[in-house]
Amino acid sequence: MIDNLFSNTNILEKALSGTWIRNKIISKNISNVDTPNYKRKEVLFEDYLKQELSENNQKLVTTNEKHIKGLGMKSEFIPKIIEDKSTSYRFDGNNVNIDTESAELSKNVIMYDALVRQITDEYEKVKNAIIEGSK
Amino acid sequence: MGMFDSFYTSASALTAEKTRIDIISKNLANVNSTRGTGGMPYRRQMVVFQEKKADQFSNYLSSKLNKVNNEGVIISKIVEDSTPFKLVYEPGHPDADENGYVKMSNVEPVKEMVDMIDAQRAYEANITAINATKALLMKSLEIGRK
Repeated sequence: MIDNLFSNTNILEKALSGTWIRNKIISKNISNVDTPNYKRKEVLFEDYLKQELSENNQKLVTTNEKHIKGLGMKSEFIPKIIEDKSTSYRFDGNNVNIDTESAELSKNVIMYDALVRQITDEYEKVKNAIIEGSK
Repeated sequence: MGMFDSFYTSASALTAEKTRIDIISKNLANVNSTRGTGGMPYRRQMVVFQEKKADQFSNYLSSKLNKVNNEGVIISKIVEDSTPFKLVYEPGHPDADENGYVKMSNVEPVKEMVDMIDAQRAYEANITAINATKALLMKSLEIGRK
């Protein structure tokens, strides 16, 4: 049971680190808003995380203990950073749209807030169980 | 990948934009300067922005450690505008040639103003980014506090 105690927190933690990296990349895009030939970068992690989670759930049924049980979640989760080279709507070859980046930034802050709240609640639950159990 | 890397990224942009505004101020101040370097009128200056990349070693190290390199922006050089000087007919001017024409600097105030607004807005955007990063960091300090 103790192994499962923090399993939710572990997933949230990965989402948190992905959101943090996204904040970095958005800062980078905003700081290079006037750099000629700079192409905006994007962080993709939600889909990967989802995929990892579903793979984690799809454990194979085994009839022999030597069978491979399942893939499970990789301990290391690395968000993917891609460069958007397809568009270029300015003369200087830069494709950073400051409005989109600002919107993304605000969205990211809210997302981070929500994740932090979830983690705090998760710890709260464990703490409650400990405290109430000892009464 | 340190905790405050995003701050440094945004701060590098703040420095760059501020330098840009400095250069614009210099251009505007010299809009009527007929005596610059080499006996020629003042030439308009421009900044060239460049994406700041980490050196090869830290690039390699971070790629091996699966980490993100975040560097921001720098001004790679300040160049002179090569557009021709404006010729103004003003025979009484001490720098007028034999036909009465004075070579004026090639600064265009309207262009400078537009550039200045652009620089100001970019500066504000980076301030917003710094505030967002700060909000994120402050929020992470709340994990497990209760």
